[in-house]
Amino acid sequence: MTLFKNLYTYRELLKTNIKKEIRGKYKGSFLGVLWSFINPLLTTLVYAIVFPYLLRGGDIDNYLIYLIVTIIPWNFFTVVISQGGSCVRNEAGIIKKVYFPREILPISVVISGLINFLISCVIIVAFLIGSGVGLSMYFLLLPIVAIVQTLFSLGLVFIISSINVYIKDIEYIVNFIVQMLFYGTPILYGLDTIKGAPVWIVSLVQLNPLTTIMNSYRDILYYKRMFNIPALSIILIISVILLIVGYFIFKKLEKGFVEEL
Amino acid sequence: MMQNIENAIEIRNLYKNFKVVYDKPQTLKERLISIGNRNKIERREILKDITLDIKKGETVALIGTNGSGKSTLLKLMTKILYPNKGTLETNGKLTSLLELGAGFHQDFTGRENIYFNASIFGLTRAEIDERIDDIIEFSELGDFIDNPVRTYSSGMYMRLAFSVAINVDAEILLIDEILGVGDQHFQEKCYKRLEELRDSDKTVVIVSHSLEVVKKLCNRAIWIYKGKIKMDGEPQDVIDSYLDQITTDYSIDTIDKNDNYEGYINVDSPVSFSRISRNSILDAFGWELSECFDSQIRIFIDGKEIHDIVRARRMDVINYYENQFGGLARNPQPGWGVKIDISDLREGAHEFCAIVFDNKGKELSRKEITFYVE
Repeated sequence: MTLFKNLYTYRELLKTNIKKEIRGKYKGSFLGVLWSFINPLLTTLVYAIVFPYLLRGGDIDNYLIYLIVTIIPWNFFTVVISQGGSCVRNEAGIIKKVYFPREILPISVVISGLINFLISCVIIVAFLIGSGVGLSMYFLLLPIVAIVQTLFSLGLVFIISSINVYIKDIEYIVNFIVQMLFYGTPILYGLDTIKGAPVWIVSLVQLNPLTTIMNSYRDILYYKRMFNIPALSIILIISVILLIVGYFIFKKLEKGFVEEL
Repeated sequence: MMQNIENAIEIRNLYKNFKVVYDKPQTLKERLISIGNRNKIERREILKDITLDIKKGETVALIGTNGSGKSTLLKLMTKILYPNKGTLETNGKLTSLLELGAGFHQDFTGRENIYFNASIFGLTRAEIDERIDDIIEFSELGDFIDNPVRTYSSGMYMRLAFSVAINVDAEILLIDEILGVGDQHFQEKCYKRLEELRDSDKTVVIVSHSLEVVKKLCNRAIWIYKGKIKMDGEPQDVIDSYLDQITTDYSIDTIDKNDNYEGYINVDSPVSFSRISRNSILDAFGWELSECFDSQIRIFIDGKEIHDIVRARRMDVINYYENQFGGLARNPQPGWGVKIDISDLREGAHEFCAIVFDNKGKELSRKEITFYVE
């Protein structure tokens, strides 16, 4: 309960912090906020050009669209994890001198990531329409998937950012894991593409919570069908549990922040 | 929960210790290696069994030498540190000024920083809008308020920071050793505002080395000595006992030290290469700081000794020393001065030399200055 009371009292700080994250990131660059469009666009283009020749992705209709509906959410995930992981450490200066509810830091990183993601959904829409795949009513379910992903990421960021204060290696280990996860999540491929792979690989990919999240995006955007409701519900429950556990870890470790930083 | 609602701050049997790690493990590798020698980690007790009530409306000073734990206690009250044992409860909206301008963004304007800084103190946009004119007026920054703070002088920076902190209407204000900056006029304004706060129902806790400030501003002083509360009461009484203790500790120190004193002498006047007209009195003065109580100053002009040097209490030097190094300056009268009749000096260059000796006649420091008589 104190969490919500704190967030309410310090709502102005939360707001300015989110604004700072969004605006400050590209401050001084010529194209400014446009970079949040250009970045995922360029990555998608590279994959779209390269991968049809390397993988069997060439068989998939509209491979560029197939990619873009998962790469942009994936980008949201990686940005939030890497910025969130160091968010407490980066604010050492202010943490040592002023009291404010520390959870504001990870929360504002994740919320600003979510806002950035929602803005870059404009690209997804433009490509869906431009390529002739088109939009369906299922597009309206996108916020639900985005919220599940946000809760999941926030839980992780709470844990990583607080442990990172004590052990700096976590940041690097996490960055490596995220890179590996990119291949362990159906982004460049679909679950049906890897049917031929060894069973343990397939089941690992299926156990990955991000698999369900990415598949849900692909279902509602690319295949224009309902996502797998039971699967996403399980991920929602897992995310909420992760979030609660993460929050308690954060609150526990928070007491030593000033001494460790 | 608070035991008494009259209290603004309630501390019960509080202990705080810090880990003293000589090579703090920063990375996983170092941490893994250091698992074997856990026993090397030492814990230093900073505060021991502190029990304290600060009532609403009191203006309290925490005094003590450096390392006594008073700043740690203030940080615990701010809730940026947490006790190892015991409890500390605060009741009411709390603002702290541990360092001026903590959380200012260099590229933002003064006005934007007011919003940002005040939001850290937990104010909402509407509340800041209400106060912004007062804050800007108090800071006397005028049109500069819309310039980025990186263009500010340190005085302007501190004026802005103080104006925000003092105008957020906190019920409890915690201040650590920051009033020594800024120009005279603004300092007086700050003290006046603090006096207003003292006379209101606000609670103020100040950590200060400046005993003058404590006497002037506070209605209660708490002396922290080696991590414990040694005395708590009227500022005048507490300060007197505190000074006595320092003198005792100090003489024990000096006996141990034997004769390895260090010191420094400064000459404010005459200035190097200055020109002084022949038929005048040279007003030479300066200050000296040394670890020796009964230091001696000797002054020579062209090798000829000048007598009748007067020692003086230089509050500016003492204050500066206290702020920089903590504790009390060792010699209560660091200033020196002497009026020298120079009518018998011929025109041209002359050498002025000031030397400070310890009580055994060993030279600690000297300063030589060349000046011209016209």
